[in-house]
Amino acid sequence: MADDLNTIRGILKSNRQNLFKRANVVATGVGYKETGGARTSTLCIVCSVKKKVDAGQLAGQDFVPSAVAGIPTDVVQTGVIRALQAPTDRFRPAPGGVSVGHVAITAGTLGCWVTKNGQKVILSNNHVLANSNDAEIGDSILQPGPFDAGSFPQDHFANLTQFVPISFEGEPSQCQFANGVIAVFNAGCRVINSNTRYKVAKVQAEDNLVDAAIATPLDPADVKDEILNIGPIQGTVEGELGMAIKKSGRTTGFTTGQIQQVDVSANVQYGAGQIALFTDQLLAGAMSQGGDSGSAVLDENNRLTGLLFAGSDTTTIINRIENVFSALGISL
Amino acid sequence: MKTIVLSIVLIIPLLALGDEADMSTSIQEVKKQHEASFLDMPGVVSVGIGLDPNGHQAIIVGLDGSHPETKAKIPAILEDFPVVIQIVGPLKAQ
Repeated sequence: MADDLNTIRGILKSNRQNLFKRANVVATGVGYKETGGARTSTLCIVCSVKKKVDAGQLAGQDFVPSAVAGIPTDVVQTGVIRALQAPTDRFRPAPGGVSVGHVAITAGTLGCWVTKNGQKVILSNNHVLANSNDAEIGDSILQPGPFDAGSFPQDHFANLTQFVPISFEGEPSQCQFANGVIAVFNAGCRVINSNTRYKVAKVQAEDNLVDAAIATPLDPADVKDEILNIGPIQGTVEGELGMAIKKSGRTTGFTTGQIQQVDVSANVQYGAGQIALFTDQLLAGAMSQGGDSGSAVLDENNRLTGLLFAGSDTTTIINRIENVFSALGISL
Repeated sequence: MKTIVLSIVLIIPLLALGDEADMSTSIQEVKKQHEASFLDMPGVVSVGIGLDPNGHQAIIVGLDGSHPETKAKIPAILEDFPVVIQIVGPLKAQ
């Protein structure tokens, strides 16, 4: 048998080029011949074709002979063979689970497609689509993201539509009362010729519920309303303690986990030493790395339950999808 | 007179219900009362509700590393609810 196999391999090697010249042939190999759908014990040369065509419709030189140098052949229809795409590749149309990002960031994950005012838009994090508050509505979103060789304008895919601002600790305060008090105080400083001036900073930031943003695709034909390696979303569900979950993300692809904590308050570090307090979060074990931010989190029945945005080597932090939907006024 | 008696009869169960709610504070409320002081301790990055090793609902305090001085300050039980300390690592936006 081994001798047979090696002999056939040799014959295939010297005839491979000739076989590939024939129309529709996409692969050649050595296998057992199938007759009437059943595998036989006869080794043969298998020619995989895009499409099986009746002998009568083929030009003579395109026909795969029934035997090559005495070795029988088999023709199997496999369709076009494509390299499996990585989440960091360019996708058109684009499903959830692939690389995306604001022009000024590295890359994050396109979570999923949602509906805003009757239009399909992409959902991800503020820090993926809106550069952690440092963006203008209408800014360009690239797929893949800049870190994955996405460039403007070739990979310009969508425009930022809306984001929920993240409140960081120590930011200038938006409190009108406190700013008013300080304005009076500073006026007083001026009167007494002091060079000292004061400004109001938040010691404790306001609570954040979500790190979320949406962007509208330039071309509605680029919408692929499903998630890579998961499929279409089957509704939503509230996250509960012990629930089995999964996600498909740019960096670690398809991973699974379990909700280990609910009602979580967590201090999350953003680049440049910024910290933001998030409340009412879900916490799971290790199921993500940098670049997975924005991934949609689903339960076993493909119901959407959260939006992944932060974590460590051992922990993943997830916004509740009901908070994301109400903050952005979106639905599935 | 009838109305007054009826009102009293209706009010009594309401008061009773109110009393009961006061008696047992939920784990959510206990967590809410204490989480700010936990989050102020060095190394504490999260406070949530999960399960202890025996499968009972517990308040889970997450640390970004081993902080013996902080661990020493965290009680094992808070108003009848177990408190579990976990190292969850520094939490970063991903």
